[in-house]
Amino acid sequence: MSKRWLELSVGLMIVAGLAALVALALQVSGGNLSRNAENYTITALFQNAAGLGSKARVTMAGVTIGEVSAVGIDPNTLMAKVHMKINSQVDYLSIDSSASILTAGLLGEKYVGLTVGAEDDVLVDGDVIEDTQSALVLEELISQFLLNLGTNK
Amino acid sequence: MATDGIISIRNVSFHRGDRAIFKNLNCTIAAGKITAIMGPSGTGKTTLLRLIGGQLQPDEGQVLLFGENIARLNRKQLNQLRARMGVLFQSGALFTDLSVFENVAFPLREHMNLSADELYNRVLLKLEDVGLRGARNLMPAQLSGGMARRVALARAVAMDPEMILYDEPFAGQDPIAMAVLQRLIKSLNSQMQLTSVLVSHDIAEACAIADEVILLGEGRVLAHDTPDALYASSDPAVKQFIHGEADGVIPFHFSAPPLQEELRGQS
Amino acid sequence: MATIIKHITDLGAALLSKLAKIGKALLMLLQAIIVKPKASSLPRLMQQLYVVGVQSLIIMLVSALFIGMVLGLQGYTLLAAYGSEQAVGQMVALTLVRELSPVVAALLFAGRAGSALTAEIGLMKATEQLASLEMFGVDPLHRIVAPRFWAGMISLPLLVAIFSLVGIYGGHLVAVDWLGVYSGSYWGNMQQAVDFNEDVLNGMIKALVFAFLISWIALYQGYSCIPTSQGISAATTRTVVYSSLAILGFDFILTALMFGGAV
Repeated sequence: MSKRWLELSVGLMIVAGLAALVALALQVSGGNLSRNAENYTITALFQNAAGLGSKARVTMAGVTIGEVSAVGIDPNTLMAKVHMKINSQVDYLSIDSSASILTAGLLGEKYVGLTVGAEDDVLVDGDVIEDTQSALVLEELISQFLLNLGTNK
Repeated sequence: MATDGIISIRNVSFHRGDRAIFKNLNCTIAAGKITAIMGPSGTGKTTLLRLIGGQLQPDEGQVLLFGENIARLNRKQLNQLRARMGVLFQSGALFTDLSVFENVAFPLREHMNLSADELYNRVLLKLEDVGLRGARNLMPAQLSGGMARRVALARAVAMDPEMILYDEPFAGQDPIAMAVLQRLIKSLNSQMQLTSVLVSHDIAEACAIADEVILLGEGRVLAHDTPDALYASSDPAVKQFIHGEADGVIPFHFSAPPLQEELRGQS
Repeated sequence: MATIIKHITDLGAALLSKLAKIGKALLMLLQAIIVKPKASSLPRLMQQLYVVGVQSLIIMLVSALFIGMVLGLQGYTLLAAYGSEQAVGQMVALTLVRELSPVVAALLFAGRAGSALTAEIGLMKATEQLASLEMFGVDPLHRIVAPRFWAGMISLPLLVAIFSLVGIYGGHLVAVDWLGVYSGSYWGNMQQAVDFNEDVLNGMIKALVFAFLISWIALYQGYSCIPTSQGISAATTRTVVYSSLAILGFDFILTALMFGGAV
């Protein structure tokens, strides 16, 4: 078996392997190599952030504009503090924007939806969103429902 | 006797597991001669060869090669010593992915810095010595057993060693191949002034070319003499081996209780 | 009572001997790979990359294709029950990249390349080629074992990447071309769900670990086998069995480390 063919095929295999890796990076994982893309961080305080974890999407009008970078407790207000990294190109979030924790589809993946308000000033790095709507917790819904049933009797 | 011998075995003991293969073995192999190491199966002939080649270390005692204690050498020194020695393994041990030419060229490429032409000529000459110059482009799988052994021999002498070890060179060969090998061993030994040590249990073939014979048995040297002296010996162990007697010092029956005790239906 | 004690002692002895074997295997490995790289060893590496890597390509490609297609089919069927069949792309991709590609490719590799390596080295031992090399002053660990080890370490990760990609296309073939999932959804949902660092790279790390295990086990079994035909066949079987167990065991450990406790 000739030497040329050997070297050629080994070379091809290595190239194919690396190309596959690149394809996996771009085509399959959506080129999240844009991890280094410019973004700024804002936070929001929620009564209840049940089910929201980091890497969850942050959307506006259904379009993903960033992701949740951390979820923790704010020691001052004892509310859930959600840190979000927003793409720098989205620089029109007014300071009275609201944030809600929503559920996507039946499988229950939680994400944050932002709605822009009416003010002229925009949110910049470090700002806090105050108008928030917490996650819907199933137990509370049920007890709400039962309560309503009871009062409507 | 001074270390006139090129190989000196002194008080060597070697165990394999629980079995003692050698106990206080002592012998000296003279330079420039063909020495045959013989003995019944299992007496450690191949083990002795491995001890000489440095592949195994003795549990006790010393193996001296060219005057050096091989157990004391580091890897580099051992390799230098090995470069002065050629080994012909029982199966030839040709490298299956290399051609005949490349096999013979192997030690030359490893240890010497020859030009392409010098290497080529040298390999051709060695193959010529064993009569296989025309087969140089064949692969080992295409060779018969006898031919493979001859190529291995060419490879073993490629570096013009001072000593060659042969492990059962005649085993399983047809009469012609045996005659060829005998002729080669003898001519190489005299031509290149080598010391040849061959391990064999083909008495006729080995004694025909050997200058001295070492007979091993029971973990020690039973006899060390010329072939003629061995043929004439009256020692029962030597007699049984040399004359090929079925029963004698080495018994025919494997150890067992008396037959009467083992048969069934007997009271 | 005495038999119980004997059993315990035997167990202890067996354990100690297993540990000793692992120690010997480690020594062999270290001796083989801890050496200054030389330009002259490159052709041997190339040769082994061909034998170990290129010759495994066909089985990898075919297996990946079929596995991807099955994933597409099964995934579609399962998700359709929840009306989420558009998510089949992300299901196929995540399953492959995180788990199936590294594990299945490694198992196939162990069976094909691993057993071949063991048999080859075992045969070289039985025909005294290894002893022959030693007598020529060449260290068989450097000359024979090392190139095969590195070939395994390099080939398997590459093969795993190719496996994932071909599998995903296989899923595409079934889900999009046959079952009517939107191509855009297939790729789009996938791109949302698959993270390069978390999923693809972790899969590659698994591939590296498996490559190390398989190459080490295969080479040690060949190197230390009893040099008879029975010994070689036993060693080859051991390579496949031990490699498979090691792959599955380490897969669990790695998965727990990488993905356990994540969201």
